Amino acid sequence: MKDNFSRSVIIALNDIQLQTALDRGTTRGVNNRIVAMGETTDANALRHQARLARERALNHLPDLLQQLERNVIANGGHVLWARDAAELNQIILDLCRKHDVRRVTKGKSMVTEESELNHALEANGIEVTESDLGEYIVQLAGETPSHIVFPMLHKTKEATAQLLHDKLGMPMTDKPEDMTRFVRGVMRRKYLEADMGISGVNFAIAETGTIATVENEGNNRLSTSTPRVYVAVMGIEKVIATWEDYAVLVQLLARSATGQRLSVYNNLMSGPRRADEPDGPDVFYLVIMDNGRSRILGTEYAESLACIRCGACLNACPVYQNIGGHAYGWVYPGPIGSIVTPLLLGPTRAPKLPYASSLCGACQAACPVEIAIPDMLLRLRRDLVQAGDPTPGWRIGMWLWATAFKSPVLYRLGGKMAGMATRLLAGRSGKIKSLPPPFDAWTKQRDFPAFAESSFRERLKRRRGKQTDA
Amino acid sequence: MPSAREDILSRLRRAVAQQPTFPNRPQAPYLPVTRLAPDEDLKARFIAEVERVKGTVHVAPDDAAARRTLRELLAGRNAQRVTMWDEAHIPLPGVTALLQELGIERIQGSNAEVATADAGITGADWAIATTGTLVLSSGPGKPRMASLLPPVHIAVLTEDRIVPRLEDYIAAQRAQRLGVFRRSSNVTLITGSSRTSDIEMHPVFGVHGPLELHVILIENLSEMG
Repeated sequence: MKDNFSRSVIIALNDIQLQTALDRGTTRGVNNRIVAMGETTDANALRHQARLARERALNHLPDLLQQLERNVIANGGHVLWARDAAELNQIILDLCRKHDVRRVTKGKSMVTEESELNHALEANGIEVTESDLGEYIVQLAGETPSHIVFPMLHKTKEATAQLLHDKLGMPMTDKPEDMTRFVRGVMRRKYLEADMGISGVNFAIAETGTIATVENEGNNRLSTSTPRVYVAVMGIEKVIATWEDYAVLVQLLARSATGQRLSVYNNLMSGPRRADEPDGPDVFYLVIMDNGRSRILGTEYAESLACIRCGACLNACPVYQNIGGHAYGWVYPGPIGSIVTPLLLGPTRAPKLPYASSLCGACQAACPVEIAIPDMLLRLRRDLVQAGDPTPGWRIGMWLWATAFKSPVLYRLGGKMAGMATRLLAGRSGKIKSLPPPFDAWTKQRDFPAFAESSFRERLKRRRGKQTDA
Repeated sequence: MPSAREDILSRLRRAVAQQPTFPNRPQAPYLPVTRLAPDEDLKARFIAEVERVKGTVHVAPDDAAARRTLRELLAGRNAQRVTMWDEAHIPLPGVTALLQELGIERIQGSNAEVATADAGITGADWAIATTGTLVLSSGPGKPRMASLLPPVHIAVLTEDRIVPRLEDYIAAQRAQRLGVFRRSSNVTLITGSSRTSDIEMHPVFGVHGPLELHVILIENLSEMG
């Protein structure tokens, strides 16, 4: 990835279509989750329960992966391991050659987005079709997904209709129903012609060697059931210990991602078709990829591996709501992406992402496995400062800040002065378009709001005064 | 050179050996996710939940009524070709005879052939009340495609197969030593009709899976002797 964060943000903020799509999408996403979590037996107790299930899995990660491997083999499947993205792509290419595969349909898989598998296969003359509606439209447009669960969240229905019209000759319509039915027709042939199906993995249940996928459309079921070869691809962190863990995690995933009680199809795949079964794939491979995850496990960032990729933190984040997924520059956008991307790619590859947050905590409040995202963002900022060589201006600024924060008198005085100065600069609009140096670094990319007339402390004092009077 | 497998596993072993990543906290007994009143009518809850996710439940007091419903569903859609599970796995006798009577061809064989069927008829291992879910496992005489490729999926179910929650289904499998997950290459939990919310998070029903889901629910036969 390239570090174009600041530029991407400005482009995103000025993209009216994107802003429309984000408003419509994230608002629905947040509301759906709040309703669905609210009607459970006890949302907070369940989140904690889910968290503990993930913690136990990570504490026993190597044992569970080996148990998973044994059971997949016992079910008649094969297990292959990939250290990184390049190895993953090579493994799948080799499997395509071995089984004489010309056409592949794919269910949703973030791990193969990491490895850009589609390009690798296409470069070797293999046709790959994304089968999830959103992924398919993103592929058709030559774009990348902008949301973990809703890959085409950046697109309005109008833009989608235009794309399907231009690329596939669909009659123009503004109804998502018509567009969906049209794509169903196109995809049907693809499934029946495919030699290999590839899917991601939502949970791998170690005790029976079962691959669990979660979906609504039926594309994942089709991709994993109709072709003669089925390949599931997972990151090492996807393994869980028991079916009881599965029951809580899969329900919180559905409620957090889309507000459903359960997703429409929860597919549980244990190996290839048995000799006495009438259909299903003849061969099954599970590919387990590391790609930087093992480096995170023993560190203070380990809880980022607990993520179940529901996307709730994206919808809840005021930064994501405004800039969308592409500005984050890599596969995983939003608050969790701001952590995972620097951790997997290295901190210098995404130095701006840990700062793409106001630390408001909406992400942590939305997370079904209680990941302390703001804490980790702060730690990543600390790491960046310690690794880098801060400028003298930065050092002086931080020293002044720290001094003022330690003294109530200085703090109050500083607040008053800043309040007067910002209100003077902002005028009637209440917004400062450009600040003098060194503060202009802020206003290059955004307005600075003037301080309120009275501070929180002053207002609280007045309020308390009134209450005692009454 | 060590294999990728050895490399990854040894790195992970080092990481978890240094310090347990998370404190080993005791696991309290699991709290189930969905609410359920102690005296709740499971059948009524199941019906309400299926209809909420755009499935249709047809309650049949006995086999004859169930066959009438099936006949209406097939005739009403002018079905010419049907794919189905072996009759032994559908809790309703006489389905094959009914198809013959209606002049409907039964499709078996390749996926491409099954894809031409107008409807798929299956049984279901279990049903889950609080989520409106059907559980279907693959096996001899139980093709996956019957509930996947045709535009209409009709599942026949007896009332005694309804369990309260997903957690109860898992507990029942645990009591059977999780055999179904080793025996069947595929178990599918089906909750409603195929849907998507990809376009602006606007729900649309009928994507790649069946466009319609019908459950024929046969009421308990016990009191009928």
